[in-house]
Amino acid sequence: MDRRSLLAGGMALGATAALPRVATAQPARNRILRFVPQANLTSLDPIWTTAYITRNHGLMVFDTLYGTGRDFQPYPQMAEGHVFEQDNKVCTITLRAGLRFHDGEPVRAIDCVASLQRWMRRSPMGQKLATVLDELAALDDRRLRFTLKQPFPLLLSALGSVNTPIPFIMPERLARTDPFQQVREAIGSGPYRFKADEFNSGSLVVYEKFAQYSPTPVGTRSLTAGPKVANFDRVEWLIITDAATAASALQTGEIDWYEQPTPEYRQLFARSRQIKVEAIDPLPNGAVLRFNHLHPPFNDKRMRQAILPAVSQEDHLIAIVGTDRAMYQAPTGVFTPGTPLATQAGLEPLTGPRSVDRARALLREAGYTNQPMRLIGPTDILAPAALTQVGADMFRRLGMNMDLVVTDWGTVVQRRASREPLERGGWSVFYTAFGSYDFLDPAGHFPIRGNGANAWFGWPTIPRLEELRDAWFTAPNLDAQKRIAEDIQRTVMDELPYVPLGSYLSMTAMRTDLVDRVAGPAMFWGIRRG
Amino acid sequence: MFAYVVRRILATIPVMAVVALFVFSLLYIAPGDPAAVIAGDQATPEDVERIRASLGLDRPYLVRFGAWVWDIMRGDLGVSIFTNLPVSTMIQQRIEPTLSLMVVTLLLAVSVAVPLGVLAAWKVGTWVDNAVMSFAVLAFSVPVFVVGYLLAYIFALELDWLPVQGYTAFSQGFWPWLENLILPAIALGSVYIALIARITRATMLEVLQQDYIRTARAKGAGQRSILFLHALKNAAVPIVTVIGIGIALLIGGAVVTESVFAIPGLGRLTVDAILRRDYPVIQGVVLLFSFVYVLVNLAIDLLYTLFDPRIRY
Repeated sequence: MDRRSLLAGGMALGATAALPRVATAQPARNRILRFVPQANLTSLDPIWTTAYITRNHGLMVFDTLYGTGRDFQPYPQMAEGHVFEQDNKVCTITLRAGLRFHDGEPVRAIDCVASLQRWMRRSPMGQKLATVLDELAALDDRRLRFTLKQPFPLLLSALGSVNTPIPFIMPERLARTDPFQQVREAIGSGPYRFKADEFNSGSLVVYEKFAQYSPTPVGTRSLTAGPKVANFDRVEWLIITDAATAASALQTGEIDWYEQPTPEYRQLFARSRQIKVEAIDPLPNGAVLRFNHLHPPFNDKRMRQAILPAVSQEDHLIAIVGTDRAMYQAPTGVFTPGTPLATQAGLEPLTGPRSVDRARALLREAGYTNQPMRLIGPTDILAPAALTQVGADMFRRLGMNMDLVVTDWGTVVQRRASREPLERGGWSVFYTAFGSYDFLDPAGHFPIRGNGANAWFGWPTIPRLEELRDAWFTAPNLDAQKRIAEDIQRTVMDELPYVPLGSYLSMTAMRTDLVDRVAGPAMFWGIRRG
Repeated sequence: MFAYVVRRILATIPVMAVVALFVFSLLYIAPGDPAAVIAGDQATPEDVERIRASLGLDRPYLVRFGAWVWDIMRGDLGVSIFTNLPVSTMIQQRIEPTLSLMVVTLLLAVSVAVPLGVLAAWKVGTWVDNAVMSFAVLAFSVPVFVVGYLLAYIFALELDWLPVQGYTAFSQGFWPWLENLILPAIALGSVYIALIARITRATMLEVLQQDYIRTARAKGAGQRSILFLHALKNAAVPIVTVIGIGIALLIGGAVVTESVFAIPGLGRLTVDAILRRDYPVIQGVVLLFSFVYVLVNLAIDLLYTLFDPRIRY
């Protein structure tokens, strides 16, 4: 008996004499996993919002037709198999027998059709697929058919995509919801069932093992591929916003897993024998400096290029993860290091000795005469906040007439949407970071888009990037894709829709008795108590 | 008296109307966009616009305000932009932890601060008085979150006597409920204890100089009787006033305390809603807090008559 139990026993004896404790049947501790996620789960609809926390919730509750393995190839999940016909312009997918939703209803092909149609409205990959799609139809309860205008080599990869939004399958009645409206229920066919009756947003999210889930017999477990075997009867997400409190709770064993501890606590945990700290995913996240291409000074390509000699990827990365070289990678280009399209092509302006003086001279040559610029950034999100501070220092040292505006993230996301000039509240530069899977390939890679008014915030018009992106979708094989990726990176480094600032690992901390975690986003199959 | 109570209750209506207008207007002009937060980092501006339209955030100020007021008059606080849950349900889920924290803090603070203040006044100028006043200065000076972290470090992490975080509903048992509230209540109550102790001491010092106290002493009344029956009752009006004012302090402090100890109360709900710009939730919670504060003030006013029969309404 520990001291707390002793104290509790003594106090309870006297204090609860008149208030008998309600006996509650608690599952044994080793059947429950208590987890502190990176953020609060506010929305339950992983198609409506692209928030990573909702994606992770989606991975618990929903399943996909295909999963993606560590080799970035698609593997069947809900699908039993597929057949390509008519020069790859027709693809028929057959569902595994016996799949059921959490409400007990069978999973039918029409559910998949409705879910994919909704997903195609919100996902960049899905939108591209929609442009080549003639028809998507359910042939019967277990078969759905894609009829394409032209072959789409990435079809199965798209259906197993790990980019947000992931093409999760939900019942037709929910999937018919307008994609810009939120689905009100979380009914999926995944390994865990969402307990709506215990959901308290901002405090507690509970999942229960779905007894009727039958894992795919195909493949080995990696990323979202292979059998999803749930080893816990119950998973509780405890929303603890305060890092110190979450760290203490992990140390005392009140929680089992703390998804995203800040660097100072990682060092503390590293000294504990009961806690292990590891990269949540071997793939690193990407840091980004984004320019506003609509207004001076960075609507001028020469101005964007001029600052490059002063940009130190390493400085930015150290601000996020500290000085441990194993925690970050630089130089890093447009695509996530360690993935097939990653390349060093065209990165010369970001390598070699850094020189603020050289950048200053280039700025003058480009015609910079103390025009104002505005850097906007947050204070409440670790990576963008750290990047903003390093960036502010760089622009100061460059002698630029900078207005630094730091607010909370909620204000930044509103302000960066403004296309107005500086005098009417606009902006020149902001910093942010993306998850590793967002930079896997050109499909979901927003900062490399060059489609002007429809591009991601900053709105660069770079037709060459759009041509290359289109070409990538129809590239016949990986070698061709790699060549296009090199061209994309060279074009990015020349036109500078943004500046890649390197890659850094995101670490996670958990009790040492947890083993067999699947590397990737926080996923709860495979993991068990050793 | 009855007429006074009815009048005061009716007076809350214009007060709440002003609060409603103020809160709505403040949020309307404040920067931030829930549609952009929902859409995520990868969303296109068009996506954000469509979400904004679907949430009705593109409607003019007066239309939105009118719809909100109309809903409130029908007892509907609206629906959270993010969770899609009714605001009243979210408040219901969160009210017990906050109420529990405030009640335990209030009981702790009053039961510690009043005797301390009386003791300091009785032993004025001695080391006891100095110790109490030093504690008060210290408690005033150290922020609530620092006290919280210190307590959690000592009593949870080092001694393992109490949990670091969380809340257990009262229905799960008295001790599980209380054990989660002890540290937060001490942290939150420290400033409150200091405030009440200082006011109690000052008021008691004044009362103890009064003629009727001298008379009581002359009649041979005991020290305890003089302090707690004669003096404290006559010093009660300012003390009760400070306790009432302190409720606002508690509401503000609860926001921080609930974050430090991960208590799923209204304070946390408010902070989360503000960071996400979940307007209906912010408006609902602020209205509730304002209403509670108005009612507490009314209760304090009524308590005056109990302690001082000369006060009539």
